[in-house]
Amino acid sequence: MRRIAGVLRAFYRGDHQVDFPRLWRHALIGSLAVVVISLGSFAVRGLDLGIEFEGGTSWEVPAPQTSVAQARDALRGTGAADAKIQTLGGDTIRVRADIEDPEAVDRVRGALAELAGVTGNEVSVTTVGPSWGSEITDKARNALLAFFALIAVYIAVRLEWKMAVGALAAVIHDIVVSVGFYSLFQFEITPATVIAFLTIMGYSLYDTIVVYDKVREVVGRVTATGRYTYTEMMNLSLNKVLMRSVNTSITSVIPVLSMLVIGSFVLGAVTLQEFALALLVGIVVGTYSSLFVAAALVAKMKEREPIYADIAERIRMRGASSGDATRVVADDDAALGAAAATKRAAGSRDSWSGARTAAGAGAAAAKTASAGSPAIPPRPRKTTGRKRR
Amino acid sequence: MRRKFAYVIGIVAVVAAGVAYTLASGNEPLLGLDLQGGASVVLEPTGPAEPEELEVAVEIIRNRVDGLGVAEPEISTQGGNILVQLPGVDEQQRALDLVGQTAELRFRPVLGVLPEESFTGDDVDEALLDAFALTEGDVAPEAEVVLPQYDDQRNIALRYILGPTAVTGDGLEGAVAQYQSFIGWHVAPTFISGAAGIDLFNEVSSRCHARIVECPSGQVAIELDNEVVSAPSVQADSVVFEPFERSSITISGGFSEQEARDIALVLDYGALPVELEAQQSQIVSASLGTDALSAGVVAGLIGLGLVSLYLLVYYRLLGLVAIASLGLSGAMLWTIIAWLGESQGLALTLAGVTGLIVAIGVSVDSNVVYFEHLREDVRSGRTLRSAVDRAFPVAFSTIVKADLASLIAAAVLYFLTVGQVRGFALYLGLATILDLVATYFFMGPIIGIISRHSGLYDNPSRFGIPVPAAPASQSHSHSQSQAQSQTGAAAGPEAAARQGAAS
Repeated sequence: MRRIAGVLRAFYRGDHQVDFPRLWRHALIGSLAVVVISLGSFAVRGLDLGIEFEGGTSWEVPAPQTSVAQARDALRGTGAADAKIQTLGGDTIRVRADIEDPEAVDRVRGALAELAGVTGNEVSVTTVGPSWGSEITDKARNALLAFFALIAVYIAVRLEWKMAVGALAAVIHDIVVSVGFYSLFQFEITPATVIAFLTIMGYSLYDTIVVYDKVREVVGRVTATGRYTYTEMMNLSLNKVLMRSVNTSITSVIPVLSMLVIGSFVLGAVTLQEFALALLVGIVVGTYSSLFVAAALVAKMKEREPIYADIAERIRMRGASSGDATRVVADDDAALGAAAATKRAAGSRDSWSGARTAAGAGAAAAKTASAGSPAIPPRPRKTTGRKRR
Repeated sequence: MRRKFAYVIGIVAVVAAGVAYTLASGNEPLLGLDLQGGASVVLEPTGPAEPEELEVAVEIIRNRVDGLGVAEPEISTQGGNILVQLPGVDEQQRALDLVGQTAELRFRPVLGVLPEESFTGDDVDEALLDAFALTEGDVAPEAEVVLPQYDDQRNIALRYILGPTAVTGDGLEGAVAQYQSFIGWHVAPTFISGAAGIDLFNEVSSRCHARIVECPSGQVAIELDNEVVSAPSVQADSVVFEPFERSSITISGGFSEQEARDIALVLDYGALPVELEAQQSQIVSASLGTDALSAGVVAGLIGLGLVSLYLLVYYRLLGLVAIASLGLSGAMLWTIIAWLGESQGLALTLAGVTGLIVAIGVSVDSNVVYFEHLREDVRSGRTLRSAVDRAFPVAFSTIVKADLASLIAAAVLYFLTVGQVRGFALYLGLATILDLVATYFFMGPIIGIISRHSGLYDNPSRFGIPVPAAPASQSHSHSQSQAQSQTGAAAGPEAAARQGAAS
């Protein structure tokens, strides 16, 4: 108990040191397994598409004391006897059938109203023509492609293209897992679910960008010392941004949980409930993927860049790295870098533009290294750095 | 410093003015039909349609809806479709049927009736049709066609063989529903006087009355949207057709009051220039709508309350600022949503509400990003005052980058999708922009101001920032981390326990 309190206190004070690169290896296996399960379920079980995508009609009526069997009895003779019937939230009956003819729709409506002892106006009805669904799906797919393209360009311009690759990979990971969740448990896909998936994408990207921005800030400073590999700097950044991610996830999940709970108790809030379920999965997966999938991919790609490959090579030669665990960036180096960054920022009006130039180019990093601090060890050599290996 | 005061005072004044305006003008958010009950339908033309034709159709539909007495209908074209939304409408199904009805009225002479043995149910003997060069259904005004007449149970009662169209609905001036004791409810259309209207009708009636070859039955069929409503015989002393040198007629077909009123309504405003087919229709009962609304509001409030509590416990004074900042953007949102509803007729739907609930998370994050920057800087030995000035530009640039991604997402969804997703995107985008405003003009400056308040800046723990570790423990942890690599997972709790003991 005291141990847990100690861990929590360390997190609150910011003294925690989580070895992310070590966790990445486990995460990779875990993510791969979940993605394979999701895709497998998608291939085998498919998705339970709502009438909005396939055409048909859905009726909803408040009927607290009615069972599915009673509803099926009542629908005999209306042409909807083979309909899908569910109870939602304990007191709403939902019937879905492949019926679009207005008179048949009205017959079912009448039968349900009679069953529940209410007037016809208390029955909610949604009818969708068969071609409408495909129209909606086409539009959604186009929107999705445009979205991916725009976001990739945006991140490539604002951050860098390797981060765009990492962010998109993380988003696709999240969507595959969320859709897989729906396929596995055969939850119905409704327009609300689609909105939820879109939100998940937005949230995942948002979170990834916040993480990447921190990585760039830290890397821009610490590269100057030349003492740490990209992965080690990434680890420092992730530790710095961890509490932000945790707190944001908690504050985002709270309203969603409240939707889920309220939705399952209150009549008529079925849409809220469905929406909340998808979001809950999405937010958790989205936070995870920013710290693990998106970060790990960028670290792997950046380590191949000459400047970071060089640093890693030198550190290996010195035998400073040891076994499995990731070295922790010393407070001194992090702070020194910070001082240099501040000094640079004092010149330019916005302090992050300094970090941007330092992050990418080896030359810039070398310059700040020579100008910044006296305690800097061998600087990265540009000539050998061009070799790719 | 002066600028910070100006920002804070400015934004609070703007928000207060907005709220005051909203209260004074009585603006209220317009609720979508999924939150107050009602009906909606998406109508698609069955064939190619010109934009002008769609505009005319929208106008006619609007007139019909007004005739029904719906309070705030929204009828618009969207892509090549017509979107009709009738929030709060009572008889939803009837309203939807009326809205989409083509109401193509034709008068045709009756050539005969198909013998009963030539059709079973919906299937007509094709060979017979071919032999007489007849087609089933109204294919062209000049063609000879076979059209059904339905009984009350919507079963086909008769199939008439009809001659070319004599008069169309264009010849009508208007129509009303009337009641007379011995014929019951009927529809009384009035014709345009002269050659374009009543003369055409009188001509066909005379011919039928004479029972010439083109009208051997002596009946004139009244056809509405491919169905024969009734086919009365033309007789001078007929109850239905009084002497045909008249300016008005009545159409009776054993109508109920509602049927008569509906037919009169659609005839009154004329036929739609294109035939429309319902692609998607939705009927939400009033109780379902209000339940969804109250559930959304309750969920939002509970969620907000718990988030506030968490922020207060974790960030103390900063949490208070975050809550105030949330409240500020909330007030701006309310003003804008109410204004949009009142002046643009833009309704807040359930999808919109969920977009807003999601936006709570994004707004809180803007605060969290900044606060965590502050904590980090104070931890690395800065005073709170210098940390505040340094951290804000860095944090704000992160917030802008991330929010821009959300905005791009919202814009793409808004412009490229339809229906619910659009509403969601609109409110998500709106909330994101307001978050940026609240962060830049309120949250940042006000923390700058209070961090200068003596008695606060020298005690960062009131800001939920752990007091920097004492010099002794700092050098300790420093030497430890420099000594060699350490396994983070194991070192974390150890270091924490040691520090806990030290302080």
